Amino acid sequence: MSESKKNRSIKLANWLATKLIKDTFLEELIGDLDEIYEERKTTKGTTHALLMYWIDTIHLLLGFSSLIKFKTQNRNIIMIKYMLKIAWRNAIRQKQFTVLNLLGLTIGITVSLLLGTYVHHEINYDNFHVKKDRIYRINQPNIWGDWNEISPSTGPNVATALKEDAPDFEEVTRLLHMGTQIVRSQTDTGSFKLFEEAAFIIAEDNFLDVFTFDLLKGDKETALDQPMNMLLTQETAEKYFGYESPMGETIQVKQWDGKWKTYTVKGILANIPSQSHIQFDMLVSMDSYQENMDRDGWKWIWTAFSTYGLVKEGTDITSLTEKIQAIPPKWAPPTTKRIFNQTFEEFTAGNPWFLNLQPLSDIYLAEQPFYNQFGPVGNIAFVRLFTALGILVLLISCINFMNLSTAKSSTRGKEIGVRKVLGSGQKSLILQFIFESILYVGASTFVAFIIVYCSLDIFNNISEKELSITTYLSNPIFTGILLLFIVGLGIVAGSYPAFYLSSFRPIDTLKGKVSNGFKGKGLRNGLVIFQFTISITLIICTFFVQKQLSHTSTMDVGYVKENILQIHNIEQFGFDTEKLKTKLASNPKISAIGKSFGVPPNIWSGDRYKSDKPNSPVVQLRNIRTETDYLNLLGVEIIEGRNFDPKKSNDKYGVILNEKAMRLLGWDIKNRDDSPIGKKVSMASGDEDKFEVIGVVKDFNFNSVRNEIQPLIIINDLNDKVWDYGFGLSFMSMRINSESIDSALELQFLIEEVEGVLNEIDPTIPFTYSFLDQDFEKTFREEQRMSTVLNIFTLMGLIIACLGLFGLAAFSAEQRTKELGIRKVLGANISQIIMLFSSEFMKLVGISIIIASPIAFYFVDDWLNGFAYKTTINFWVFFLAACGALSIALLTIGYQSMVAALKNPVDSLKSE
Amino acid sequence: MKNKGLGEFEELILLAVCILEGEGYGISVKREVEKHTGRTILLGAVHITLYRLQDKGLLKSHMGGNTSKRGDRKKRLFNITDTGMQLLQASQDVRQSMWQLVPQLR
Repeated sequence: MSESKKNRSIKLANWLATKLIKDTFLEELIGDLDEIYEERKTTKGTTHALLMYWIDTIHLLLGFSSLIKFKTQNRNIIMIKYMLKIAWRNAIRQKQFTVLNLLGLTIGITVSLLLGTYVHHEINYDNFHVKKDRIYRINQPNIWGDWNEISPSTGPNVATALKEDAPDFEEVTRLLHMGTQIVRSQTDTGSFKLFEEAAFIIAEDNFLDVFTFDLLKGDKETALDQPMNMLLTQETAEKYFGYESPMGETIQVKQWDGKWKTYTVKGILANIPSQSHIQFDMLVSMDSYQENMDRDGWKWIWTAFSTYGLVKEGTDITSLTEKIQAIPPKWAPPTTKRIFNQTFEEFTAGNPWFLNLQPLSDIYLAEQPFYNQFGPVGNIAFVRLFTALGILVLLISCINFMNLSTAKSSTRGKEIGVRKVLGSGQKSLILQFIFESILYVGASTFVAFIIVYCSLDIFNNISEKELSITTYLSNPIFTGILLLFIVGLGIVAGSYPAFYLSSFRPIDTLKGKVSNGFKGKGLRNGLVIFQFTISITLIICTFFVQKQLSHTSTMDVGYVKENILQIHNIEQFGFDTEKLKTKLASNPKISAIGKSFGVPPNIWSGDRYKSDKPNSPVVQLRNIRTETDYLNLLGVEIIEGRNFDPKKSNDKYGVILNEKAMRLLGWDIKNRDDSPIGKKVSMASGDEDKFEVIGVVKDFNFNSVRNEIQPLIIINDLNDKVWDYGFGLSFMSMRINSESIDSALELQFLIEEVEGVLNEIDPTIPFTYSFLDQDFEKTFREEQRMSTVLNIFTLMGLIIACLGLFGLAAFSAEQRTKELGIRKVLGANISQIIMLFSSEFMKLVGISIIIASPIAFYFVDDWLNGFAYKTTINFWVFFLAACGALSIALLTIGYQSMVAALKNPVDSLKSE
Repeated sequence: MKNKGLGEFEELILLAVCILEGEGYGISVKREVEKHTGRTILLGAVHITLYRLQDKGLLKSHMGGNTSKRGDRKKRLFNITDTGMQLLQASQDVRQSMWQLVPQLR
């Protein structure tokens, strides 16, 4: 048993004790338990100790808890005792029903509890900030591309302008994500420990005034107000220094020129809660980057800053939003003039440069903007899907429970008759049925909680969350809803037998008039149809989710994306890069090698370009710098012109376009006169150098296959006339000779070999690698995770529905024993009886299929519309799902119909 | 004072508390009884009996002696009261006098 699970188990036991035992006893009892646990652990092993811990706890609970009241002789308690006894006897008498009933309900509650905790977790992001209701993020349009798209970041001067023009803000604070940094800390022995730090953020001095991140060590007022101040989270401190409070220690960060910048640790923050959209390891003061901040011209188009505002209490957000719309037209023109030589109106081309205020609580799940530089973004679609799934599965299991309960209770007519004869009032009968029903629901809920408690680790693994259920139990609203559910479902399910059966005259029930005249069959059939409709819809949808995922992962992206190993951090090697390349190229297992700045599927940097045609439009193109070999290595098809030629020195200023970019710039290769080859392209910002187009590549996918292929311009890596975008990160990609690698071990060996080569040249540079195809997979990681979850829960829903069908078939078989017996006597053979019996249920499943198909079609179609490349909706899938559902249903009731058909008619008819 | 009936288990517990001389709490009492009788008893039983005996006025208790072993929680240390001692003595006397009347042992 794992250590953590054991501790959780003990915690649960202790928690139970705190709830049931008076506080005055707690300390000594838990103390004793703890002591004896440790002793047993050393002498008899953990499992034994744990088991005994529970036995002892329960024993103590019985002795000391408020349950003691039960031991007293109180009339109500005696009655409850008898009700319990009757309930127990009934449960034992019909074991099959009882088990089916409890199992279905337990699965249903388990599933909905799991999904419920997930949804609750997702909708409560950023809830821990004390001033959360007053914090807003300032968003603006994506001025670098589609102006209709909302971007979560702005230029640095949006904040300064807001401070100046909008006194409604109490604080305005900016964050800047610095991308991956090479960081080192000094150990006691004076040597350096080197790290690659991906969560390195620059923050303003009022950061901690706006957000609630606990500062464990250090002074909140001065923590970020000096240059070179740095705050670490506990985890990070532990990682870099090996202990939790390295106050005053230093950390060095490598600069682009190879020099190290030294920061001093001025504070330790508690670890960032997982439910925060801002995640970081290190925070450094913005004053440390004063020289960057001073670069005047960029202040409105350097859109890398996230701006957050804390409004004053009682601020009207609508009017504030209206007011701040005047800010960009007022402040941005000098920037557009200086950088692009355009007026503000020319720059925006008529699009409004709006600023909107997004409440903090909306950020995580908002549909727009759909990314966040600092951490996770949620997916509202999944939250909706899971909410729906949870409710549906719960609904299916509740229906099941009601169906089986009512079916079962109709056999209790005689019992009711006898009890009535013996003087039992209707009221106490009603109470009995409702009590039993509530008891069932209560028991299922209890078991479900235990299952959830134990399986949460697995669920957390799949969904990559940190969910916990114990916190909910102490929440009064949750417990209230839970009780309401138990009592509510209990009453609804128990009300049919309670009110209907108990109203019969005892003489009728005893004579057997009512016991077989069970009504409500129409309702039951309706409920079965409803259940199966939901299940079949879920099955079809799940199937298409799988189909779409496999479609995207096997899709042709325009080059062979398998067997490409990419080494990161190549920019750190500087002048040694060529040496590195030669060394690696000599390895026979590597068939091609090439360097590039940026690799698919993460080519995001872009700029505004225009062609040398008169009145050329300014267009937004993605850009990537590569060398000749990289395009060869990818194997993208050049449909016009040629690749860069290292021998031609002029090629250094050549560019290659993809088809999309070519068409956007107004050229076409179909028309000879319109060919872009030999024409010129330049950046749109003023009088820039012009670059000759030397080739056109066929469109290939360099982002996730979720999106359409974007226009792309490929720039030679030696081009020294363009500003270097994309943080200048560069990669060395290698195509592995797949024939020389047969096993994972050999691959591992090759990777180590490569690492060795890198270390030989510069051991201070962290070795990071990835595989191109895996990076592509990652863009669908969330969908894949969620589809796993979806599969599991769809299966659960189906199991519950089948349990219900099985129960009803069993019930029906019991009810129709005589009828089938007579049929057999009159000459019906076994197959006819099986047909007769099954067809009744198959009809219901058939109707469900007819209802479910269009519903599923609607949802699948709607979901697929979100993808640029979608799988086709084949009708054979529907057919397959229908056949599947039918055969599962047939299997479920097959056993019952066999039993019914094989019964000897003598047995079924003789007891009259 | 009349002997209000001391159960066998109660008597064992009382004796264990006496033996432990102020160091008697749940676990040590359990250990002591187990050591002498050779049988395994449940912790809960010990606790419940200790409290019952306290309610009867045969034991008194105070909190103390926290150790890191038990997560720095205090223990409830039991001591025998005068009444308890008398009762134990009385019980012993009854047995002693009865023993002497057993013919087989003569």
